[in-house]
Amino acid sequence: MDLNDLAERLKATPLSLAISGSDTLFPLLECVHVLAVVTVVGAIAIVDLRLLGLRARGRHVQELLHQFVPVTLGAFAVGFVAGALMFIAKPDTYLANAFFLVKMLLLALAGANAIAFHLLFGRALAGVGPGVAAPLPARLSGLFSLSVWIAIIACGRWIGFTT
Amino acid sequence: MLTAFAIWLRATPLSIAIASHDWVIPAVQSLHIIMIAALIGSILVINLRLLGLMERSQAVSALMGHYLPVVAVSILVLALTGAVLIIGEPTRALFRITFWIKMALVLAAVILTWGLGRFSRTGLALSGDAGAALTLKGGAVLALLLWTAIIFAGRWIGYTEGWPGAPQ
Repeated sequence: MDLNDLAERLKATPLSLAISGSDTLFPLLECVHVLAVVTVVGAIAIVDLRLLGLRARGRHVQELLHQFVPVTLGAFAVGFVAGALMFIAKPDTYLANAFFLVKMLLLALAGANAIAFHLLFGRALAGVGPGVAAPLPARLSGLFSLSVWIAIIACGRWIGFTT
Repeated sequence: MLTAFAIWLRATPLSIAIASHDWVIPAVQSLHIIMIAALIGSILVINLRLLGLMERSQAVSALMGHYLPVVAVSILVLALTGAVLIIGEPTRALFRITFWIKMALVLAAVILTWGLGRFSRTGLALSGDAGAALTLKGGAVLALLLWTAIIFAGRWIGYTEGWPGAPQ
């Protein structure tokens, strides 16, 4: 079964019909999605800017991660569910949209970067206390994360201008 | 008068320049959302700290000093990017009720956030007074609700029709 078959099947589900048949459900999902996205990116930016040494240099990196990773994951879960429901409402439109496909690719990259960051630097960050600069690979990971998330927001906004 | 202003604005060289490039509006909207992320990140830390839900090892005054300037700069850039969006499409947001509701909510949220910053530095709040702590917690809940409503109203501008008599 290819993706287009999947899209057709999804479109025929009661859930898809309920969302696409309502005037208010889709915009409401968009509102929740935007709220979740800005929370995810706002929280990630605070950690990334500390890694880059641009903000909160007086804070221990691990302490910031401890505070902001739960917020990020919680908001991401909400954004993912809202986004998935938006996709279910019009799967064929999204699959035909280049910005949507690029956004999904960027999300995978952001996720892989986050997992690699925690696996590779999780322990090394114990030494990055107040006033201490993060090691170069961790700084590059932060720069990559911030850049990819900014691109994800731009792709997400551009989806609405191309359908 | 608003109609005359919008029609005048639409004829300005800047408005014509923005409207003649398809990428400007989505690009400026993207920048607008990126700045909302910067704003909401800061708003979240300040208000969740006031509620005692995160960053409890940090003094409220230290967090306010760190994040309130980010809020101020974000609001400034949001006003600028928002103005560019209005100049590019003068007959859109200005004639939709959701835009004016959003502006009223922004005004209330900015005053409340500024007030919470001021009040948290008063002797009464710093002394650990129970009433002052409760006031700050109530203010934090209200602030989080207001900023959430602002994001919803912002997204809803695109789904609102212009009011009767709005220029096309």
